[in-house]
Amino acid sequence: MFQNALRRLCNETLRFQTTVKYVNFLRGVRPLSVSARHLTDVKDALPFDTSLLEFLVCPLSKKQLRYEEKTNELINEELGIAYPIIDGIPNMIPTDARLIKNDPETPVEPA
Amino acid sequence: MAASIRLLARRIVRDAFRTINSSVSVRIVSSSCPSNLSACRCFSDGAADKSTHFGFETVSEGEKAERVYKVFESVAQKYDVMNDAMSLGVHRLWKDMLLHVMNPQPGIRLLDVAGGTGDISLRFLNYVRSQQERVARRTARANQTPSWQEISTSYTTPTEGIEMETEARESRAVVCDINKEMLKVGKQKAESMGVSSGLSWVVGDAEELPFDDDQFDVYTIAFGIRNVTHIDLALQEAVRVLKPGGRFMCLEFSKVTNPLLARLYDAYSFQMIPVLGEVIAGDWKSYQYLVESIRKFPDQETFKQMIEDAGLFSVRYHNLTGGVVALHSGFKL
Repeated sequence: MFQNALRRLCNETLRFQTTVKYVNFLRGVRPLSVSARHLTDVKDALPFDTSLLEFLVCPLSKKQLRYEEKTNELINEELGIAYPIIDGIPNMIPTDARLIKNDPETPVEPA
Repeated sequence: MAASIRLLARRIVRDAFRTINSSVSVRIVSSSCPSNLSACRCFSDGAADKSTHFGFETVSEGEKAERVYKVFESVAQKYDVMNDAMSLGVHRLWKDMLLHVMNPQPGIRLLDVAGGTGDISLRFLNYVRSQQERVARRTARANQTPSWQEISTSYTTPTEGIEMETEARESRAVVCDINKEMLKVGKQKAESMGVSSGLSWVVGDAEELPFDDDQFDVYTIAFGIRNVTHIDLALQEAVRVLKPGGRFMCLEFSKVTNPLLARLYDAYSFQMIPVLGEVIAGDWKSYQYLVESIRKFPDQETFKQMIEDAGLFSVRYHNLTGGVVALHSGFKL
């Protein structure tokens, strides 16, 4: 019984090692395909995954958000706030959101 | 080396005094409190004077969130290493047990709250993918002796089309954490492991989740709920974002049932863990907070009651490692 378990453990670790090597090789290939897929022009290096918008909402009003490519933010039109996206990770903490003024978009932190 | 031992000894003594002082001050404050509190409440913001616990200290609720944030910001880089050191690798078994009990089917959506470095989500994706491979292998083996009918249909329809249809819904894991540093570490770990599709990272508050209602099949929170200021709010949000039929699962440190084991566990927690924290992560206080916060968390039955109050059904718990960790599970019906 233990021999079987040991044999399976050895096989799994070998397989894991080979997949890790394979995956590390693939890592060099992958960035090219990613940049081709994402056509949006973003400021920071990592693109934002827009499929998240399917279920991501504003934590305050629970309404859908709009992705603004130029400033790389998620905008809630109703409340006039913008959530920043840093390194491809959206920051949905209300106190970190930016208030959008009507005319020039001056960054003002809400209370 | 003698100097560092002296330093450690001084720290232990100082911390012992601090805990004695804090418990004394808490008693003094609570005796003189009632009249002051009622006056204060009229004038100041609710969060500023409502107090809660931060380890064995008493702090205001606003302060607790900030201090918890600072704790995890400082331990983020060494978080995984410290977990292995403190639990002697056993935390991996606890997390594997969570996945085993969850038994996710391919195509479901997971929300990992307080997911931090993404341990649960990465395990979830591996589990689901290995299951898919197992199913694919089984069908391949079955197809090795197909009937003449099957062979003729396989000539007419392209095999790629059939495969794409079965994987119509990709499994999806979303890691949500209030702390950006922990998510950054997790994202780097995922990239180094080569996992990129089906995994998303979001900075969000467990008490105010930025997700729509009825969206997730499974909600997990592993070793995170004791750090939340209002546990009942977090539970209510969990119920909101879960689909009907969705499962809530929580791994958390809990009360040890066996008295002998409890004594050993206490000794280990208060003597070894802050020392390990100082040696490996260079942060004694964060790990002191960790072991104190474990003691302040409600026990298995009380937490089960809280989960039921939030509106989940069929709530049960499994004790792991003699009650050191409890796995609570409930369903939204």
